[in-house]
Amino acid sequence: MTPQELVVRMLPPFGGWLALAALALPGGSPLRGAAVAVFLAAGPGAALVGLCAPALRVRPAQGPVDGRDPGFARRSDLLERLMLIVFVSVGAVMIVATVLFATHAFTAQRVLLALTVLTTLAAFSPRLRASPPTPGKPRTGKGSAL
Amino acid sequence: MTDLSDLPPALTWRRARAAWPAAVLLLALALWAYAVRHTDVSALDDFGLVTALHPSFWAGLAVLTAGFWLTVRDPARSRLWPGAYVLGLLVMERATQAVLYPTPLYAWAWKHDGVVEHLLTAGELQGAEQVGDMAVYDQWPGFFAAQAALVRLLGVDSAAMYMAWWPLVSSLLLLLPLLLIYRTFTEDRRLIWTALWLFYVANWVGQDYFSPQSVAFALHLGVLAVVLRRYGRTGDRRGQALWTAAIALMAVTIVISHQLTPAMLAATLLVLCLLRRYRDWVPLVTVVSIFLAWCMTAALPFLSAALPEMLRSVGDVGANVSTGYGTTPTGTGAVATSWAARLLSGSVLLLGAVGVWRQRVLRHRALPLLLIALAPLPMLVANSYGSEMIFRVLMFMLPGVAFFAAAALLPTVRTLAGEAREQQTVRSAAPRRRALAAGGPLVALLALTLAFVPSYSGKDRISYFPPEEVELVQRVFDEAGEGSLVVAANRNYPLAYASYGSVDHYWFLEDDRRHVDAIVADPAATLARDMRGVERPGRAYVLFTRGQVANSEMNGQLDGEQLERIRKSVAGSPRFRLVAENSAGSLYELRQDGGAAR
Repeated sequence: MTPQELVVRMLPPFGGWLALAALALPGGSPLRGAAVAVFLAAGPGAALVGLCAPALRVRPAQGPVDGRDPGFARRSDLLERLMLIVFVSVGAVMIVATVLFATHAFTAQRVLLALTVLTTLAAFSPRLRASPPTPGKPRTGKGSAL
Repeated sequence: MTDLSDLPPALTWRRARAAWPAAVLLLALALWAYAVRHTDVSALDDFGLVTALHPSFWAGLAVLTAGFWLTVRDPARSRLWPGAYVLGLLVMERATQAVLYPTPLYAWAWKHDGVVEHLLTAGELQGAEQVGDMAVYDQWPGFFAAQAALVRLLGVDSAAMYMAWWPLVSSLLLLLPLLLIYRTFTEDRRLIWTALWLFYVANWVGQDYFSPQSVAFALHLGVLAVVLRRYGRTGDRRGQALWTAAIALMAVTIVISHQLTPAMLAATLLVLCLLRRYRDWVPLVTVVSIFLAWCMTAALPFLSAALPEMLRSVGDVGANVSTGYGTTPTGTGAVATSWAARLLSGSVLLLGAVGVWRQRVLRHRALPLLLIALAPLPMLVANSYGSEMIFRVLMFMLPGVAFFAAAALLPTVRTLAGEAREQQTVRSAAPRRRALAAGGPLVALLALTLAFVPSYSGKDRISYFPPEEVELVQRVFDEAGEGSLVVAANRNYPLAYASYGSVDHYWFLEDDRRHVDAIVADPAATLARDMRGVERPGRAYVLFTRGQVANSEMNGQLDGEQLERIRKSVAGSPRFRLVAENSAGSLYELRQDGGAAR
């Protein structure tokens, strides 16, 4: 892992712990708002999508029949990843908050803490990789850190 | 140092040519900024924001549209410019109201703010025995639970502090899935970005406000984007479990948040399975299983109560597409803006049909999008969805319709066969015909873009609640104790659902017509009788606000004079005492020392 990859991987959990720290700022402060909003909108999704990215990539994407631009598919994949980062984050926030309400355990701090822990675990977990195309000759095993 | 005059003229011309999209975009945004600074929303008429807007707003929108059209059709331009213009459109379309109005628009948004407040107060999900009909929100709590967390984490008083910006946020959420869906079927950026533009200008139905639908719709498109891109028949199953997990996570989020969207999603996925190239049942089975699991558990109390009525409405198309009593546009402004909305939707649907008819290659290649456009239609047969089904169906159809409508505006789509035909046409066509071919679609795009404003903001007289109105209603809830009752003509006022766990409501225009006539005939006595069941420490209030009058007048219920007579009758009756009054309305309390018995 290059230092750059390490930084990218650690950004989401850092964002979560930063958002937790930002709760010490006065309510309504722009810094607190920015830290919380950015993390909730992208943090959990970035960590979870990053965890699954190698395995997700192996399934080929459908593209236009008359596709001629080699960069087009690459940009579509990037857009898809961005979309998943946002939507997985939104989904994680809504599901965690609902579960805490349903179990009579809701506080906003618990929601943020749970999401930050989830993000941290995902960031530190080895990347998931799909099974290789030829059975019996794996290039990398599922859960391998390679 | 090189003197500028030393540079070759061609270079300067190239630079100027490269800079014009930025100049046009900045001009449009400058006109918009000038307009919002010089627009007065303090005295809206029946045309809502349309007549209040400074003329430079319209000029800005026209400049933006023309700039977009010229940029998107120029292959030499960077592919980022159409995106920048679409973002400009979103700012002008969806942020104008947030900038202009000092308070959030729309009574439904205020209602959802009330639900968030209630969740925060209760700290748990409640049933019908505690909150009556409002328990439906506790059975689909996803959106509200997340907003409750956000309110606390931001440290603000309530969601009303930020919900005015929700239309912009929720519209931005749609951008990525729509782009992905369109990019699955074409590389032609003219088609992709024009389809996006048309989607946004035709999406006037107002489901972008602070609501579960706004997020559920984005996630619905997210699931469709994943299915269209990753579930074609490739025979390669690697990585499928994780893609299914991604779909499942989005589906769970939709299912715990909104009633209609899972049904729309299931219907769309089922229709996609009709195509051989998308005959993969995994996404459909995943979504349906999650939907049924929620319906059979958390949502069961609501569904078991509502099921008989739901079954009755199946097949009753007339009732399902009817918008119901109290929704008939009344008055020149309401009728004109209502027709603008109908014409806008009709034109985009017509353009979509033209696109399907004219673009044979595209019709074949983008058949899944055509099916996505048609999939929501059976819902018109299934349910009325509180008299809103026709609008929801239109919204769910739009992603597919907008694609083919854009294809209708573009003479030829860049396919291998189409390109050869286009070159031949361009060579043989007379210059006048070529000009018409370029100018006609621009005029159409311009007309549709401008029509968005009356369609979306034409009823702002109903939707806008000035700060005085918020202040007056807040006064009620500052005073009202447990078991109090608030009587009003209708529910079109801010904070109408504040403290709904402890304060009851009675909106008399929603009552039986004969009872409304009785109230009009003898207002104070009839209302006092209606309110006499309230016992101490509860209090009974009658609230009159300008929002109620606007809603009643513009939707064909009682007119302003009739409502004023009711107010005067209450004001002059010894049964009531004036509690508060300002420019936005007045608040009366029923005297409980025998007043109701008179």
